[in-house]
Amino acid sequence: MSLLRPGSVTWLLAHEIRIGWREMSTQKGRLITLIALSVLFVILAGVGFPIGLAVRGQDLTPAPAVHLAFDLGLALLFTLMLSQTLAAAAQALYARADLDLLFSSPLPPRTVLTVRFAGIALGASSLYLVLLAGILIPIALMGTPQWLGALGVVASLGLLASAVGLLLTTVLFRLLGARRTRTVAQVLAAVIGASLFLLSQSGQFLGDDNRRFSDMMADLFSGDAQVTLPPLADLPLRAIMGEPLPLISMMAGALLIFVAVNQLLGRRFARDAASALGVESSGRKPGRVTGAFAHGVFAATLRKELRLLTRDIALLSQVLLRLLYLLPLAFILLRNASEGHNLLLPGGAAAVSVMAGQLASSLVWITVSAEDAPDLLVASPAPFSTINRAKLWAALIPTALMLAIPLGLLTFIAPWTGLVATAGAAASAASAGMIGLWHQRPGNRADFRRKGQVHWLVSVAILLIGGLIGVATFLAAWMQALAIIPAIFAAVFTLAMRKSDTAILKTLRERA
Amino acid sequence: MTDALRVTGLTKAFGDKRAVDGLDLTVRPGELYALLGPNGAGKTTTLRMVAGLLAPTSGEISVFGIDAIRDPSAAKQVIAWAPDEPMLYDRLNPMEYLEFVAGLWGVDGKTARARAEELLRWLDLWEQRGQRCEGFSRGMKQKTALAAALIHEPRLLMLDEPLTGLDAAMARQVKDVLQQKVAAGATVILTTHILEVAERMADRIGIIQGGKLKAEGSLEDLQAMAGGGRRTLEDLFLQLTGERVDL
Repeated sequence: MSLLRPGSVTWLLAHEIRIGWREMSTQKGRLITLIALSVLFVILAGVGFPIGLAVRGQDLTPAPAVHLAFDLGLALLFTLMLSQTLAAAAQALYARADLDLLFSSPLPPRTVLTVRFAGIALGASSLYLVLLAGILIPIALMGTPQWLGALGVVASLGLLASAVGLLLTTVLFRLLGARRTRTVAQVLAAVIGASLFLLSQSGQFLGDDNRRFSDMMADLFSGDAQVTLPPLADLPLRAIMGEPLPLISMMAGALLIFVAVNQLLGRRFARDAASALGVESSGRKPGRVTGAFAHGVFAATLRKELRLLTRDIALLSQVLLRLLYLLPLAFILLRNASEGHNLLLPGGAAAVSVMAGQLASSLVWITVSAEDAPDLLVASPAPFSTINRAKLWAALIPTALMLAIPLGLLTFIAPWTGLVATAGAAASAASAGMIGLWHQRPGNRADFRRKGQVHWLVSVAILLIGGLIGVATFLAAWMQALAIIPAIFAAVFTLAMRKSDTAILKTLRERA
Repeated sequence: MTDALRVTGLTKAFGDKRAVDGLDLTVRPGELYALLGPNGAGKTTTLRMVAGLLAPTSGEISVFGIDAIRDPSAAKQVIAWAPDEPMLYDRLNPMEYLEFVAGLWGVDGKTARARAEELLRWLDLWEQRGQRCEGFSRGMKQKTALAAALIHEPRLLMLDEPLTGLDAAMARQVKDVLQQKVAAGATVILTTHILEVAERMADRIGIIQGGKLKAEGSLEDLQAMAGGGRRTLEDLFLQLTGERVDL
């Protein structure tokens, strides 16, 4: 009997994997991902061979500190997986429109759910498994096959992260309802991911306290510190190194938890999902009803765009996360500003201006290219230029609001740098916004993460011009007259990208 | 009297394929005109060109005497276009959506507010005025889009399959609205596959096939054209378009 017999668990799992793979990116993007992964796999295999040679025949007894380091690493990996499973669970359980179809089919609901849950677990761990296999296979070939146990440990973490992610998502659903669950889960997932990044950057902005932490870690590994391992803390590394009992206990434990959650949530989920798909809005309180109407194309379009931006929390959070990732930079900037470090301060100002351009570019893509009803706008007598102007402002206003506090603080601490950074940020945002406007391509808000609709040349141009404005800001903050040169280049390049309304419309029509 | 819509030699080619092929069409002011045709006949393409969404390959379009190709903005001012898939924003509520559309057509805020209330009450959407469109049924979305199409009081209202997916009550409501608009002097062009609707509502019917007008006139005109007798529009349509029904 074929493993892929229609209706079987494996057949449905293959379907899930195919859908997940196709939703990941465009065909071209998938090919690039596949090539990149293969290259990475080969590189990792190259790393694996010398390690394999070094550990061959060795009887390794890791120090307690090494156990702790691995525990910490696995905890971080688990958190990362959890962020993925949270987003995936919200998407797969409450957003995918195919559940109606699956539940209306003769397939047992339990099969559908098991497969969907397994898909989430697989999605969370597959990348790490592939990459790890790149290192472990050569090590195994060189004579240490027991280290393949690490794959079992990572798979266990994937199962565990999926179980916790599913539980959290279900609890969120009970507390918040379907729509908010999706949003909160996505935001939570992104915040967890960003927190890991911030943790890795903590040394940049925590100062002396963090140095003590680093010293402590260094002590641990140099053997200067006395470490007493908590109970079972040595289990993960022993499992990684292929000791049968720890490995089997970890895998069996994770599988047990996963199956238990599967059983526990199965029935409840079928009810929740039906609620999410069917009467999603019925329990929702009516929103605020507009009082006076805006008058005119500009005001109406601006109001509409700002409303849409503020209501798409998941999308906005993705934009805001870009700011979160730049927090270490802001800390450096403010620390140096208060300590009077002359060179680092202009560097920070330059970075803020580049950041403003990136933010504006993202927002203008949402307001301009990801228009939900382009035909409505074209069918209206409203001037194209007025609509575009309103959309540009709708992107620039949130950019200004997001940067107002850091720039205000900077201006308060170091007035000249603050003013220059503000000017640089304004120039960068305006330039990126206008280029986004001139080179708009119809897209979909759901594509925001990959911005697949933006031509790569436009992205390069925005980066290049942003970089030039960054250099100009740096030099101006450093009080160098040379700042005028990159500023002029940035202005010239921006103007070179300009397209008339007629040309934009022509391009849009050709693509329609 | 100036025609509401006069289309002359209108052609739209997509590569080698001519979706609309030298179409001549005239719609008089104040009439309800049903544009019928098999799938792919060129109905939607024609209406999209009139609405200014597609540039014609050749031909002329005149809306109440305004050259819609030379002066699309002036033509659009008097047109409303409602496609088969409602052009809504999921995250706006009907009032906000109507505010936006009114803004696009330059209706002043106060008038737009009053009209929005009137339209939403008329279409039984007033209770849902504060709810976002994302949770609306197909029919509610269709009615919201219709309200938006009417907010600037267009002289020419073009609707592509306005009754698709509506239940009997909603379909009746939409038909009533259209008839009242026609009674008030507006011109309505609609495409539909529900031939009984065209038979009962339309003053004149145009049958388009292969991008060309095959027949046009009142039901009686079409019956005469097909050799007389009291035949249904469905029979006439199948005969005139040469579509076969194999049972």
